[in-house]
Amino acid sequence: MAKLKLQINGEEMEIEAKETALLLDVLRQGLELTGTKRGCETSHCGACTVLLDGMAVHSCVVLAARCEGREIATVEGLSQDGELSELQRQFLKHGALQCGYCTPGMLMAATALLRRNPRPNLEEIKIGLDGNLCRCTGYTGIFDAIQACAQGQPENA
Amino acid sequence: MDRKLIRPETMEEALREREKYGRDALPIAGGQSLLVLLRNKLIDPQVLIDLQTLNELQGMKRQDMGLSIGAMTTIHSLASSADIQTAAPILAQGASKVGSTAIRNLGTIGGNLCHNEPGADLPPALLALNAGVELRRRKGTRKVRLSEFFRNFFETVVTPDELLCSIEVPKLPEGASGVYLKHAISSEDLAIAGVAVVLVPHEKQAGTMREVRIGLGGVSPVPLRATKAESLLNGAVLSDEVIREAGEVAASETEPMTDPHASADYRRKMVKVLVRRAIAAVMGQFERNGNGKA
Repeated sequence: MAKLKLQINGEEMEIEAKETALLLDVLRQGLELTGTKRGCETSHCGACTVLLDGMAVHSCVVLAARCEGREIATVEGLSQDGELSELQRQFLKHGALQCGYCTPGMLMAATALLRRNPRPNLEEIKIGLDGNLCRCTGYTGIFDAIQACAQGQPENA
Repeated sequence: MDRKLIRPETMEEALREREKYGRDALPIAGGQSLLVLLRNKLIDPQVLIDLQTLNELQGMKRQDMGLSIGAMTTIHSLASSADIQTAAPILAQGASKVGSTAIRNLGTIGGNLCHNEPGADLPPALLALNAGVELRRRKGTRKVRLSEFFRNFFETVVTPDELLCSIEVPKLPEGASGVYLKHAISSEDLAIAGVAVVLVPHEKQAGTMREVRIGLGGVSPVPLRATKAESLLNGAVLSDEVIREAGEVAASETEPMTDPHASADYRRKMVKVLVRRAIAAVMGQFERNGNGKA
């Protein structure tokens, strides 16, 4: 067992975990941050997407020990003081979810995309979400929500 | 018993651990394939040796002979690096087609090569670039050409006491151009067939090539160069007929497998098509850029 110090959503958290524990298990079981979903566990579906130093990663294929000293962001950190983020509001407005299981991963992948590229076109949105599967919506609501966020941005942002 | 994670701080320490544990340990680079194999219980090493902390394996260097790429360079860095886009655009193209955004963010060039999974996108591009690798063990260093690196499905020449340190990509000859084409059902899949082509035009004879290189992935136990098709094209006038024949010859050099994604026969057919399309695409680049033609 190893003692890990992780920086999650701006807060430092300490936890005991196996040396080769996965970030997904540490988040969900150790820290009870269950917003991050367990899907395929083989890096195909993206339900477990979180941000590591601002990059979208699949937490089912990340060793938690490797995240020490780095910034982890999960879906729990998107809303601030009970206020949903713009992206979350647009997801609601555009019906970008049905069962909701892929939504935390979609939100995190889209957050990473919009930080890197505040005005992505449809092709760039598709590439940004290429690691995230949704079996309900057919994606159109999700694309609409992200495009609505992009349109809210100034042209030269 | 819990698996152990060793996080060496120096290359020397990493190589010492590698020698000590041999087959009981596996090095972990980006972990994007290795942790899936662990999850599926296909491997069960007692120890993982983490390469993330080793500065010597990071970054790219421009050298007289070309580029030296650290084994821990991420696929995302390859796809977005201006140096690679200029010096070896087909490598950037291959990198941009690996897995998904999240996998490219953490996956590494060294891991991609050492894992040697059929259908990987980097090997065909690197083969067509005449790349080589540098392998280190505690007592020495050796250089291996990539064409001699892959042994069999998921097998390479790397021994249990070695680490892949860098990938050397020689400069392309003057006037050369290339393309990497991937055929897959879904963008995050491995290639059913992946074809990289580099053409080096003859300065004086219009429409003929001084050198042709064709790298193939996903269509044999190991990624390979289609050397017979290359010989057919070297020095020949690249008519539609010759290009078609080269596709057929390249297909005959493969030993594809049948799996749930595609049959062996279908893979062979895709090699024919992709070799033809890749050559046509590079010829198109020459025409637009006004080189490759007298």
